[in-house]
Amino acid sequence: MHDAHSSQDWRAWFARNGAWLRLIACQWARSEADADDVLQEAFVRFWKHQRHLPGNPNALVVTSIRRSGLDLLRRSDRRALREKVVGDDQETVTWFEPESDPRLAALAESLKLLPAEQREIVVLKVWGDLTFDEIGEQLSISPNTAASRWRYSMQALRRNIIARTHD
Amino acid sequence: MTDSYHDLEQALRALRPTAPGLAVTARLAAELDAPASRSGVVIAWSAGLAAAAATLAAFAFLAGAGEPEAPTYQLVHAERSRPEVQLFRPVELADGSYARPVRVRWEDTTRWEDARTQTRLIDYRPNDQLGFLSLETH
Repeated sequence: MHDAHSSQDWRAWFARNGAWLRLIACQWARSEADADDVLQEAFVRFWKHQRHLPGNPNALVVTSIRRSGLDLLRRSDRRALREKVVGDDQETVTWFEPESDPRLAALAESLKLLPAEQREIVVLKVWGDLTFDEIGEQLSISPNTAASRWRYSMQALRRNIIARTHD
Repeated sequence: MTDSYHDLEQALRALRPTAPGLAVTARLAAELDAPASRSGVVIAWSAGLAAAAATLAAFAFLAGAGEPEAPTYQLVHAERSRPEVQLFRPVELADGSYARPVRVRWEDTTRWEDARTQTRLIDYRPNDQLGFLSLETH
């Protein structure tokens, strides 16, 4: 099979893109270890199965991360039921480097407060550099729905930041 | 429509997502270094054992400075994914008969954990095989 990215240095590619890929993995993780596991499993699957495919590798890796994330959730839900884990464990996952600018720090916190379906659009568009068409394919929604969710998320972020500024 | 949120989007881009930790980077490096082989139309990935050994070595290296004992991994999870079956258009074989190519992909994943060091080892083996379903023609 023809390798569309035969000259690609995937170590270097991961070094450039690992941070935002981990951010996507964080959307599915309840701990740092889970985020790392999702990222590792997804990238290895992409690298072994799909790295030779033509097109935007970002989208393919994102697909793989979502799949690993879903697998993790299924496993975690069973584990959580067994161990009766309670509480919002997502608070323990670090998404961003600490920001000295209070507005950026507020923005990072506000992002976490978005509904998951809106937050995912933001992450895929801003850090994944995916178009609404590509996001629609990822999430099995229309590009118009993706764009609508993007607008809702921007409105919510703006409201939240203004509210925090006035507090 | 989205231009009115340009400033907000730029502010979001200024946030710096946390980079993956050294452990996951080392594990990935071990996976990428593991050999894989292809043979004809049947693709067989052979990274499993080599990757597991390399990953264990990476863990041992990372834990080596302050931990004199190597991790002791216990199997905690084994899973085989639902196979993905892809059927292609019928083709004529060399003997004049017809067959439909079929591609089957599935993944075997085992997960090992060491409670003392709270480290995990994932052995992931994707499988990808191509075969033929004979067709009877009248």
